[in-house]
Amino acid sequence: MAIADAGSSPGHIPRRRRLRVDLTTPTLLGLPLAWLAVFFLVPIGIVAAYSFDVYSLDPGPHSFTLTAWRDFLHSSVYLRLFWKSVRMSLTVSAIVVVLAYPLAYYLALSGTKRKYILLLLLIAPFLTSYLLRVLAWKVILGNQGVVNTFLFWTGLRSPDHPLSQLLYSRFAVMLVLGYIWLPFVALPIFVSLESLDRRLLEAASDLGASRLQAFRRVTLPLSLPGVVAAFLFVFIPTLGEFVTPSLVGGANGYMYGNQIVDLFGTGFPDWETGSVLAIFLLGVVAVLTVVFARFLQPRQVAAD
Amino acid sequence: MDVALSKNGARLLRVFFTLVVVFLYAPIAILLIFSFNKSAVPTFPLSGFTLHWYREFLGNSEIKAALETSAIIAAVSSAGAVVLGVLASMALTRRFFRGKAAVSALLLSPLVIPYVVFGISLLLLFHTLGVPRSLLTVVIGHIVISLPYTILVLVPRLDQIDVSLDEAAFDLGASRLRTFRSITLPLILPAVVSAFLIAFTTSFDEYAVASFVVGTRVTFPIYLYSALRFPSQLPQVIAVAVVVLILSLAVVVAAEVGRRIAERRFASLEID
Repeated sequence: MAIADAGSSPGHIPRRRRLRVDLTTPTLLGLPLAWLAVFFLVPIGIVAAYSFDVYSLDPGPHSFTLTAWRDFLHSSVYLRLFWKSVRMSLTVSAIVVVLAYPLAYYLALSGTKRKYILLLLLIAPFLTSYLLRVLAWKVILGNQGVVNTFLFWTGLRSPDHPLSQLLYSRFAVMLVLGYIWLPFVALPIFVSLESLDRRLLEAASDLGASRLQAFRRVTLPLSLPGVVAAFLFVFIPTLGEFVTPSLVGGANGYMYGNQIVDLFGTGFPDWETGSVLAIFLLGVVAVLTVVFARFLQPRQVAAD
Repeated sequence: MDVALSKNGARLLRVFFTLVVVFLYAPIAILLIFSFNKSAVPTFPLSGFTLHWYREFLGNSEIKAALETSAIIAAVSSAGAVVLGVLASMALTRRFFRGKAAVSALLLSPLVIPYVVFGISLLLLFHTLGVPRSLLTVVIGHIVISLPYTILVLVPRLDQIDVSLDEAAFDLGASRLRTFRSITLPLILPAVVSAFLIAFTTSFDEYAVASFVVGTRVTFPIYLYSALRFPSQLPQVIAVAVVVLILSLAVVVAAEVGRRIAERRFASLEID
């Protein structure tokens, strides 16, 4: 552990005694950063190299080429699928944020004493198994599922004509994704509303603003960072989603993430094209993250 | 007058909140109901109460093996993630160094990477290195995924602790390691425990990345995913699902309650 104390900066509080040097900055950061370098950055680098054909596991000569990228950017199939996934994720995120806002508003501003218990009640489903919640919807939406058999049982629908578009459809994917993310989205909105200075609302009211005006001119603008964060918290993970669509999506609910998986799958693997699709998705997510970085402050999320 | 909400507004929102909570828990409740249902397919009308499916799953060695595999992977990977997380969080909160913003962005970046991209990246890495897929490869991936969560739990806690406690220990001649062991670690222990639990549940439930790097010993989510394609096993899967769901809910609630109690107790010990 006796590494020279190279990491401590001159700005540190002057110490009266020469300390035995352990747990220096390099000691602390070395292992986590090395881990991420080897098992996070290098692997992504390999995929990027693959997409330019600089590197390949196939035997034979390789050299830098943009062919796969050019094919991708000219292919209507992949780009159309990407836009379809963007539209689906945008819709889910928008609906979920609109639903979550009143929930967070209620918890933060109604003056209920049990707000943290209610918040936990809201979030707890998010912390349980993802696959099991998808499984629940499979049981509910299937042709022989809870909804349909309930309709047969009550005679509202004949067993010969189940509501078959419930499962294996774009609707099913969006419903399940919305269900999965709804509890989580309320959190950042709650945090931003909770930190709102209520005297601002009183001032607005004293100056003659109605509740609606106070909401539109004060509360909403001030909670907007939380709303943006919430939106991104859903949009970013759902954009690359492949598990839910593969379980409840069928052909109609097929998303961009499924295409990536299939290109690396056992059917007709094309790792080079798959790498292009993966790096493109990563690039989009990275741009979004950087552009909206100030809304994604971890402190805001971690605070409770 | 309440400026945020009128009486009726509050009432309306309470109704809405209740409806959403019902919507969130109804599917879980439906799983619970059908796990006790006699019929082999989950359909209405209900056909009577049975514990058959629970007995069946207790005798199903495949399910038990998968649960055990997941527990091992979750335990090892969350221990690893917590160790790395404590190291990184100490650096982020206790040290001054150049490029801190970039380092912290890198440490948190696994939060936003699409898991499909990370999964194929690891797959290509292990192919390149010639490492066969096994429990270890899943553990490696899960440590990367869980690391930022542990940091998000640990950093706020470290920020709360008065640095002068550390400095006092220094001045009394303790090494940094000793200071960490006797001062910092006991103070952040509740956060370390909840970081471990969050990492554990994250790993235990993780399907996307594991699906690319899992070996022949399948994890529980991998087993579940494949079982979802064979309806004959559905009732058993539902039974095990209910058990896992309830256990994980209990762990989550216990962790949160425990953390609050512990922090309140520690808060009274701290000098401000």
